[in-house]
Amino acid sequence: MGKENPAEKALNLIRGRLCDPTFVFRPLSVSSDSNYSKLKFIVSTSITEGCNNSILLLGPRGSGKAAVLDLVIGDLLEEYPDSVSVIRLNGLLHSDDNCAFKEIARQLCMEHHLLFSKMASFDENSQFIIAMLRECGLAHKTVIFVLDEFDMFAQGKQRLLYSLLDAMQSVTSQAVVVGISSRLDADQLLEKRVRSRFSHRKILFLPPSREEFDSLLEHLLSLPSDSSFPSGYVSQFNEKIKSIISDTRFKNMLKTFFNANSTVNSLLKYMLSLDVRFRAVSLMNLESGLLSLENFKAALSSLQRQPKLEAVKDCSIVELYLLVCMRRLEVKEQSSYNFISVMKEYKTIHDSFQTSDYYAQNVCLRAFEHLKERAVICYAENRGQFQTGEYRPMKLLISASELHQGMRSHACCPAMLLKLLDH
Amino acid sequence: MKVESFCSFFQNQESSKVTRRNTRSSSSVTVENPEPNESHQPTVDDLTFGEESITLDALLSDFPGRRSQILDLIRLIGPLDCPSFPIMVYGDASTGKTSVVLQVFRHLNRPFVYSSCRTCYSPRLLFESVLNQLLLHSKCSSNGYSSAKRCDKPSDFVNLLRQALSNVMETLDSKSGTSRSSKPDGKPVGKMVYLILDHVDLIKEWEKGTMILQFLFSLYSVLKMPQLGIILISGLPPDVYYSNMGYTDPIPVYFPVYSQEELHQIFLRNQANRDLYSAFLDSVLKPFCRVTRRVDELSTTISSLFRKYCEPLDDLGLSPSEDLKRRLYNQLKPLIAPCLNEIFRVSSRPNDGDNRGERRQKASCSSENREEVEKLDFHMSTSAKYLLIAAFLASRNPATLDASMFDSTGGMDNRKRKRKASEKSMEKKEIAEQEAVMKGPGSFPLERLLAIFQCIASVGDSSFGEEEEGKEEEEEEEEATGYDRENNNLMSDVLLQVSSLCDANFITKSGSCPLEGSVRYRSMVSEDLALKVARSLRFPLSKYLYRR
Repeated sequence: MGKENPAEKALNLIRGRLCDPTFVFRPLSVSSDSNYSKLKFIVSTSITEGCNNSILLLGPRGSGKAAVLDLVIGDLLEEYPDSVSVIRLNGLLHSDDNCAFKEIARQLCMEHHLLFSKMASFDENSQFIIAMLRECGLAHKTVIFVLDEFDMFAQGKQRLLYSLLDAMQSVTSQAVVVGISSRLDADQLLEKRVRSRFSHRKILFLPPSREEFDSLLEHLLSLPSDSSFPSGYVSQFNEKIKSIISDTRFKNMLKTFFNANSTVNSLLKYMLSLDVRFRAVSLMNLESGLLSLENFKAALSSLQRQPKLEAVKDCSIVELYLLVCMRRLEVKEQSSYNFISVMKEYKTIHDSFQTSDYYAQNVCLRAFEHLKERAVICYAENRGQFQTGEYRPMKLLISASELHQGMRSHACCPAMLLKLLDH
Repeated sequence: MKVESFCSFFQNQESSKVTRRNTRSSSSVTVENPEPNESHQPTVDDLTFGEESITLDALLSDFPGRRSQILDLIRLIGPLDCPSFPIMVYGDASTGKTSVVLQVFRHLNRPFVYSSCRTCYSPRLLFESVLNQLLLHSKCSSNGYSSAKRCDKPSDFVNLLRQALSNVMETLDSKSGTSRSSKPDGKPVGKMVYLILDHVDLIKEWEKGTMILQFLFSLYSVLKMPQLGIILISGLPPDVYYSNMGYTDPIPVYFPVYSQEELHQIFLRNQANRDLYSAFLDSVLKPFCRVTRRVDELSTTISSLFRKYCEPLDDLGLSPSEDLKRRLYNQLKPLIAPCLNEIFRVSSRPNDGDNRGERRQKASCSSENREEVEKLDFHMSTSAKYLLIAAFLASRNPATLDASMFDSTGGMDNRKRKRKASEKSMEKKEIAEQEAVMKGPGSFPLERLLAIFQCIASVGDSSFGEEEEGKEEEEEEEEATGYDRENNNLMSDVLLQVSSLCDANFITKSGSCPLEGSVRYRSMVSEDLALKVARSLRFPLSKYLYRR
């Protein structure tokens, strides 16, 4: 019990850290040329000097744009508690202009303890916002508009962007518009009238380098020495983490992870890698109370799933037969095929090889539908919905090698099927 | 068996808190009062499973073959009051995703909100269902079955959700401060609420579904409330949801399809005579596993087969000897193969295991006894049968050949086609065949159907005039005068017959022809069925079918 307690506590602590973006990004922002200090400088000067500004934060998903902005805003709210108010919009939610204006009005009302009317029209809302901006400017209060998923606001007529940036052209207003986007060409999406009112400040967020990454790992995983943990445990734990991070095997593992991931989806790698840590923590065995290299390995393998292979492994024998038939039709360069032609192929296979698995058409049709449900196959085109499913052209959604690999690792795939797949 | 837990799939979880919790449990079969108790004032406690929590051991033994998934889930959800990343549970249908997740929460005894996109088939229903549960609002007659808040936009949902959550957090906070005497087992509830969304894959089919999906996937980062844990349950793997928008990946938890051994254990649960059932499963499960490994599909067939299996036994309680097992197996063996092909048939009567077997037996011995096949499994009037055949012919044959096919002056004899054995023509033929298969049955106007119908009805009568029913129709040619005669009943309500065939989905309407503007029809009958119908009329269908 005495041994188990600190381990569990350490686990909870680390878990809490991982779910807290401000903790994750704090160390990356200490240096003077970091994005954090750049952003903070820009925003704080516009607060102190009472000017208008607009900035775009660009970078791949999960590179910490929103988290760094939150850090900055949190600090500024502490520094200037009376002269900052923040309005947050998200392109996913408020890409509709009407909705966006309503949301701004609502948040302004909340902030200044005014009564918000749901029934207010678009026009009333926009007038209210401009009036509020003027009032805030006169009271030397800076309004920071945070537009997450900035590119979504650039769809359509861009009325919101225009009226916000246009209001900022006047001397009386005092506002900062911060756009966050993962599209590097976000500013090119703007209309001419909007672009001319936009100050072209851009801050680029890049995924951290390997060194930064290593220090981040240590920052995340090592325990604080001043806490209630037994002191011996803390030093033991931290030593172990250090040794793991400096281990070449671990470094190689991380490298392969990065390599694989940047090809598949380079955008997500940073967040994902954090998730890996998370899994490692989840699998940390409580007996020894220390993380081990095996934990990291297990977490990695549990995260790197191959859904298509799993889907093939889940197939029953009949479904495998259908897949093989479809594959054979593709090899024969038949341009398109439907259930009926697959059944024909199935019959010829049965006739020439006398397989034991020959089932009625309705069973095969059901198996076919299972495959469709599982998104292993799909209709090739949306046209022709008047036809029943049997006649609509189909296509495979897995490659030949995936099928091959999946069938090889299948628990009870008949050897004959594999042979049929090859020729 | 596990069938009870499947009921939870179809339960509208919103109806009332009380019933909701009861129907969900897979252990208790009794359903208490289905109407919500008027005096019952919902509290935060109702957000938990509402029944006594179960131990981890009970949980693991409840779900054979799901051990690692359960442990994974519990670890990912984390200890009490620990924030968690979004989790995505995925796997094939009927692999226990929903039941496992819900039972895990029963084990943990933490508050959660469950909404299924199957019952909440639109964004508005989904959002309102979540909010209703969080606001402890239940629809009843006193409030006109209305929701607590009207909400159909994601932006409104986020605001309302934030509000509702902070309310719930407050009450949870104050509860955890005071004594937990209200909980019968004294187990902690914690300060987190979990949102479980089931059948997320269905959202893809919704109008603007991709937007809603993106919203749900990024809900965690939009809300920025670590007190809310999100668990998505999906039938499709996460790679299906990738779009150019991107999102923070939920942590995947994969539920593979049960293996044969695991199925064995699942079916063996709650069986009175385990030895007997185990012997039965040994003989049955293997062939069935080749067709499907879904518990729900297997359970119906297997239960009816077990009834057959037990038929020779007087005492169901006895444990079978090796000899008895062998005998029972031999008895069952001939039934398995036909049942494999029946596995997906939904029986119209609940207890037709015997019936079905008989019919199958009939079909299996049909090779010797041709007469029996000529009985159809369903009733159909003669004219409807002719119509069916006419529609089939109209769909399969090219319209240009109608004259030579049905011309009584011997058009059939000049059907000789020049056959060139050159490779090119063979190739062409093959391509044409492929195209025909791809196109499926052709469409035809109503006039053509009626013309063919008249032809084949008359031909059927003249060549098989000795039949009793055909006798009256010999004067088909004089039909203009014969309106009062019985045979014209065949013709008079033909349109009615056509529409009833349409309703039965034997013929479908397939949009109107852009040039002619009339509705075109299409026959949906398979060749087997058409041949069967033709045989029952003793109509020589193959003679009229154009073969490429």
